[in-house]
Amino acid sequence: MSIVPKETIEVIAQSIGIPNLSPDVALALAPDVEYRLREIIQEAIKCMRHSKRTVLTTDDMDSALNLRNIEPIYGFASGDPLKFKRAIGHKDLFYLDDREVDFKEVIDAPLPKAPLDTAVVTHWLAIEGVQPAIPENPPIEAIVAPQDGKKMDHGKDDLPVDLKLPIKHVLSRELQLYFDKIGELILLRPETALFKEALLSLAKDSGLHPLVPYFSYFIADEVSRNLSNLSILFALMRVLKSLLSNPHIHIEPYLHQMMPSIITCLVAKRVGEQVSDNHWAIRDFAAKLVASICRRYGHVYHNLQSRLTKTLIHAFLDPSKALTQHYGAIRGLSALGPSVVRLLILPNLETYMQLLEPEMQLEKQKNELKRKEACRVYGSLLLAAGSCLYDRLRLFPGLLSPPDRQPWKTNKKIALTHLPKNKRKASSTLNSHQPPTKKLAVDPTGANSQFPSTDGPATSSSSGSNPNHHHSHNSSNNNSSNAGNTTNTNTNINNATGGGVHAQRVSGSAVLRQAWKEDMDAGHLLSSLHSLFGEGIFSFIQPAEMHCFI
Amino acid sequence: MEDEDIEKAVLAYLRKKGLKLTELALQEEQSRLSSDASHSRSQNVADRYFDGYSRLRSWAYNSLDSYKHELLRVLYPVFIHCFMDLVAQGYMQEARTFFHTFREDHEMMHLRDLQKLEGILSPSHLEEMELARFSRQNKVKIRLCQYSYGLLLQFIHKTKSFDMLGVINQHINFEVTPGQPTSISDDSEAVSLVGASQDLARELNQKELHWGLLEDSVEERMEKALSDSDRTEVEGNKEGDPEENNKKKTDGNKQGTSVSNKKKKDKAVGATGKTTRSETSMVSVAPRVKSELTLPQLPPEVELSILEDLRNRAQLNSLALPSVSFYTFLHTHNGLNCSAISHDGSLVAGGFSDSSVKVWDMAKIGQPGRASNSQGENGSMQGMHSLASDEAKRPYSLLQGHSGPVYSVSFSPFADFLLSSSSDNTIRLWSTRLNANLVCYKGHNFPVWDAQFSPVGHYFATASHDRTARVWSMERIQPLRVMAGHLSDVDCVQWHPNCNYIVTGSSDKTVRLWDVQSGECARLFIGHRSMVLSLAISPDGRFMASGDEDGTIIMWDLSTGRSVSPIMGHNSCVWTLAFSCEGTLLASGSADCMVKLWDVTSSMKALKTDESKSGPTSRLRLLKALPTKSTPVYNLRFSRRNLLFAAGALSAGS
Repeated sequence: MSIVPKETIEVIAQSIGIPNLSPDVALALAPDVEYRLREIIQEAIKCMRHSKRTVLTTDDMDSALNLRNIEPIYGFASGDPLKFKRAIGHKDLFYLDDREVDFKEVIDAPLPKAPLDTAVVTHWLAIEGVQPAIPENPPIEAIVAPQDGKKMDHGKDDLPVDLKLPIKHVLSRELQLYFDKIGELILLRPETALFKEALLSLAKDSGLHPLVPYFSYFIADEVSRNLSNLSILFALMRVLKSLLSNPHIHIEPYLHQMMPSIITCLVAKRVGEQVSDNHWAIRDFAAKLVASICRRYGHVYHNLQSRLTKTLIHAFLDPSKALTQHYGAIRGLSALGPSVVRLLILPNLETYMQLLEPEMQLEKQKNELKRKEACRVYGSLLLAAGSCLYDRLRLFPGLLSPPDRQPWKTNKKIALTHLPKNKRKASSTLNSHQPPTKKLAVDPTGANSQFPSTDGPATSSSSGSNPNHHHSHNSSNNNSSNAGNTTNTNTNINNATGGGVHAQRVSGSAVLRQAWKEDMDAGHLLSSLHSLFGEGIFSFIQPAEMHCFI
Repeated sequence: MEDEDIEKAVLAYLRKKGLKLTELALQEEQSRLSSDASHSRSQNVADRYFDGYSRLRSWAYNSLDSYKHELLRVLYPVFIHCFMDLVAQGYMQEARTFFHTFREDHEMMHLRDLQKLEGILSPSHLEEMELARFSRQNKVKIRLCQYSYGLLLQFIHKTKSFDMLGVINQHINFEVTPGQPTSISDDSEAVSLVGASQDLARELNQKELHWGLLEDSVEERMEKALSDSDRTEVEGNKEGDPEENNKKKTDGNKQGTSVSNKKKKDKAVGATGKTTRSETSMVSVAPRVKSELTLPQLPPEVELSILEDLRNRAQLNSLALPSVSFYTFLHTHNGLNCSAISHDGSLVAGGFSDSSVKVWDMAKIGQPGRASNSQGENGSMQGMHSLASDEAKRPYSLLQGHSGPVYSVSFSPFADFLLSSSSDNTIRLWSTRLNANLVCYKGHNFPVWDAQFSPVGHYFATASHDRTARVWSMERIQPLRVMAGHLSDVDCVQWHPNCNYIVTGSSDKTVRLWDVQSGECARLFIGHRSMVLSLAISPDGRFMASGDEDGTIIMWDLSTGRSVSPIMGHNSCVWTLAFSCEGTLLASGSADCMVKLWDVTSSMKALKTDESKSGPTSRLRLLKALPTKSTPVYNLRFSRRNLLFAAGALSAGS
């Protein structure tokens, strides 16, 4: 009859010391208990409303009891909702899970942190009826949604607010302007100082994150459309680089959209309008970009690098692909690091050289353009192999090759002295002034000490800016390597002393047998590379080793 | 009687022989027989009610469409009275089943009443619960058209359901009107509390009401000054308009003196008015009334600051929405019960459940822009600076004195006093200059839910759990008037702009308007379906807005006492309402973390043109919904320059 069962009344009676309440009394009391409960709750709700709350608390119940002149129930004041548990064996009997607390524990416990004092802060909820997008106001999405709902509800009152139908994501007006401006700069004025500022802003500004999907789409779109326009491609790649370097942007989810456009720039068959365009530079830039992405996000996406290398090695090993594509693939692979070069390029080097060699020779390849391209590829291969070798040698600076490879070293030595000569000749003949190489020619040791710091970029940039020079240099290398071996007698003397020093070291370094082995590998590597590249490879050997050889 | 004798003899015999078991068995048998009898009797009564009501119900639901809603209206009073009859006769169980069987029909309209009635479980409760007692004692008035009435009588006679007839005769008064049945949209009255309240309301709402604005207000003088400077020649014409209006509402013989008064003051103000010319009228053309209270004089510097504000007031309408400055209370730990903002936004007060009142001076916190709004305030602010500097680094002034949760705070019009009301049955007056308690007003017997200063200061009104509203003056510790009449708690109170009336909202779901001078109820507004939480009266004094627990906002026409436009404005309690200074916009703040702006002018215009039609079909138009970041809106206030201030406590987590 009442929602309070008579069992409850009996239990309550027991708890206050009336052991056997007659069932009649319990039955008669139950409805009244319910009525009183409702009455108290009704009053408690009033207290709740006047405390401007929508959740009833134990305080409200106490206030309601106070209103009725009843002693409040002590001990229930708590911030958390009370947890009632079902009594085992009884269907409708609940009790409060009240843990016993050791008094000592309470006393010993450290004082809790004092709650923060009440404060009042102000902000603009609206300025002339428009909510400014500031952190104090709820995000814009939240604003749009309820209004939509309201519009549905009150079909009659047409709101004067211009609402577009459900947009999940709303860009602020400022961001839209920003995006449009950047797009305009990329497409129309990529050379201006303003664009440089824009790149800086892209790399540093926080709050650009909402634009990332738009940018990634924009870049992908424009790359495919503007493959013939080098300057735009360059601008796009620069924008990408800036975005990647922005610490406030979480770019990972968009990488999959960006990678294809970078790889396109790297290994496209034709980039740029005319053959004379310097498309090599953009390939180099893209290669570096790709490598930096791999370094940064390789640990998040395990297959990122493997997929990339697969694509590149595919391009590299396919003889039907153009040489420009080979070049891009090689650059991309070598940018990924020496170990990638060692694992993927070096094993294929010999076969590839057989393919490449005829292309470079004047007699066999009549098309000068093709020949130049081949030389480019050769240069990039040389660079890749060389940096790999450099890396190997650098790992074991104090170690040297076993004596049985002495002849190779002499050879190396000779080649080294030979190389500057060639370069000097080349530079003087072709009238392209190159300070580092010149310096190398004048003072080999000094130049070498400088060389490692600049080796990658310097070579690539010199080759980039002056393909003719490189070409002639390489071809002369090939043609006149034998001659070089026989020329300089002076070096032979040096070589003899170097060998002596070397012998001393060998006796002392027995403990490092394993390292020896590695070094031997390096030596083998050097020898094989030398057989392929001639003395060009020696420019990658660090001066420390050089000293040993000298 | 013979049976009983025999039984007694048998029992005595058994007892004598010591046959206890037999005796018990016999007794048991007897009691079972008797309870059976009573049970079957109760079954009969309950069944009769049950059958009667369900037949009436199915008949009403199957009646003709055009008369159906009228007949359905009869069902609810019959239903609750059947239930209460059953309870009164002691058939609890049957009453319960009856109640639950048909409860669903009425849930939509009367949910809260039903929840209350559900608790009635014994005849004594009927006496105790005021809703039940009230509806038992009073007859419901239901308006039926001739034909519906005929149908009903016919049905009752045909089915011979005399129980229903009894209930209907006992508790319902039919007002039979000739002609067509009333339209459904008129139902608002049928929704309200059962009882004679409609009668009462109708009677009350016949009374004369002078809803016009006070004559000789600062605004009026300003307006006058402007029109004077505009065209001094046609002054005679201009003067004629308000006079005509006045004649409608007030006695003509008062006019002579007031006009001459006005002219004197006009000359004084005219000089300032000429310099800055405002383009449109500040005050709508409302009739003027004389104050029935002795009003305090405005200090001249305050008057100047008001004039300054009036000149710089932003014009608001449906196209020019206000700026809203939001004051967020942080770290309140659910303890903030109420808040108040001074007219210029420089002072913000909060009343807390730990009995304290805290006042923040926003100028000190580092928002100097807003504080400089008022020149009149500078003096008081400096006073506070010097005093508060002795206090610890607290960024607010702490006012302690109450001994129970503080349920409302209110600033005097010029922010030099603060009122607070508390559950300790007292109201306290504080000085914001001295940061000290000045007076403690005792008089209410129960928690004081609301206290509001009058628009001119000096007087204030309070609302309490003791079902009365009281009007006080600052200088007396006894109330000047006690307004009694609400059937439940008075939850909120608000002054009419002309200070001759106050309006009160109550838990009995009605709003009443009281004449301050006589202390009598002048209007009764019926239409809310739950506790009324907030009230606001338009600046021209003609309309009132009230918000309730369910989120409904109703606009009322004070002169007729009829609702203009009920709307479901919010999803949760409407804590606060405020009209813009010209009365063009209504702002509402709610527990659903929204500030909404409503267009008043368009709906009121629609009302004026449609006045010939009976149906109040026009609705408030929503102009803008401004969500806050999980901050329920406790308080809204338009400054005199029409900047909207809002306040609320951040309720993170919950």
